[in-house]
Amino acid sequence: MKRLNIGIVNYEIGNYASLQNTIHQIGYRCQISHDKKLLNKCDILLLPGVGAFRPAMEAIKKKGLDSFLVEQARHQRPILGICLGMQLLSDGSYENGYSKGLGLIPGEIIPLKNPRWHIGWNNIKILRNDSLFESSNGKSFYFNHSHTYQGPTQYQVCKAMANKAIVASIRRQKVLGIQFHPEKSQLEGKILLKHLLSKIDNA
Amino acid sequence: MLKKRLIGVVTIKNSWAVQSVGYRSYLPLGHPEYVVENLDRWGVDEIIVICIDRSHRNLGPDLSILKRLSSLRLSTPLTFGGGIHTAKQAVSVIQLGAERICIDAVLHDDPEKIFEMERLIGSQALVACLPFSIKSKVFFWYNYRTQKSIPFPKKIYDLFNKGLISEALIIDWRNEGSDNGFDINLIKKFPFKNISLIAFGGLNRINKLTAVLKCSSVVGAGVGNFLSYTEHAVQTLKTGLHQCQVRPSVYLGTV
Repeated sequence: MKRLNIGIVNYEIGNYASLQNTIHQIGYRCQISHDKKLLNKCDILLLPGVGAFRPAMEAIKKKGLDSFLVEQARHQRPILGICLGMQLLSDGSYENGYSKGLGLIPGEIIPLKNPRWHIGWNNIKILRNDSLFESSNGKSFYFNHSHTYQGPTQYQVCKAMANKAIVASIRRQKVLGIQFHPEKSQLEGKILLKHLLSKIDNA
Repeated sequence: MLKKRLIGVVTIKNSWAVQSVGYRSYLPLGHPEYVVENLDRWGVDEIIVICIDRSHRNLGPDLSILKRLSSLRLSTPLTFGGGIHTAKQAVSVIQLGAERICIDAVLHDDPEKIFEMERLIGSQALVACLPFSIKSKVFFWYNYRTQKSIPFPKKIYDLFNKGLISEALIIDWRNEGSDNGFDINLIKKFPFKNISLIAFGGLNRINKLTAVLKCSSVVGAGVGNFLSYTEHAVQTLKTGLHQCQVRPSVYLGTV
């Protein structure tokens, strides 16, 4: 049985420690790096994120990771973006003015309104059949964001309900984004993350 | 819908977890790691750790404690405060494993710095720590370094209004550490609307927690040492608060 090698893409704005700890806890090896040669050897790439869109994209570009990630997606390398990492997968964001994203999943990131934040635990609901999320349908996860994905419904996999529906997960083939933090969602988060990492390559 | 949060609050002084009473006396509880690890295991919805002596001594955030906490592999959201005065420090705290930061002294000293913090880590990661008392309907904002209170200035409210800070931790500092002491008027008479509030200070019983959590502006309630002193306190409180849109207890489901 092949042992997965997981790479956490380090662009210096993110909660790398939390994510690495959780991945170790659920039994996988992972390394945090911005070295493209090293990341190129990984089976799955994780794009974490706590922070703002513009400095994150600037940091990614500065390290030349934008073209690398696009190339990896083109070669069907599974990529999982978490929270800000999910937003970076989109075409762009209106956070602090418009900034271009990686353009891996069509759609844009817009500010939340009334209320301006979606912070805390919320249940997710699957919008279409997707084996990656079926076992987590209706479960509660930790969200912490002020901007949200807006894009074609064909890429939306899960939602959470606040005053209105908030996109909780997006997917285009092997590129997957989740708006919430599985690494900080206790048992349910670990179950989902383990499921995603073990199935994403074949789902 | 979003659940209201039952939050474990850990106060740290001189690298020790302490029981703080009214911002004036402190009883040692033990190593912060043990207290925080327990809260994580018991399934609180969030953990707030505040190192209360860092700004006072101009030491910056205690990154060594944060590293130790991070190494515990916490799976509960962590908000970390104490000594954070610059955007660079804020980024360091996030990188070391906190989801959010708590700011207090910098609001007194140089609120303009919040703009740069928000630009780098986002408003969702910024929580303002506001020790309050109320007298004749006027809210007084306590500065623990000078030990003086001033009327809450509009310039701080403006930071909320501009969307730079996502939540306010309203601390009833006079009743902090006392049994069932929280003054609910700090929530009900809070003059500024549309600010999400976390209540803390003297909250330990279901009746008072229920009253606080039923206020529409309240998104969470912080409980301090009470959680450490009572067996299954998190589960007991969550069970008693089931009508307050609190996430059900998860601890029993895992054993």
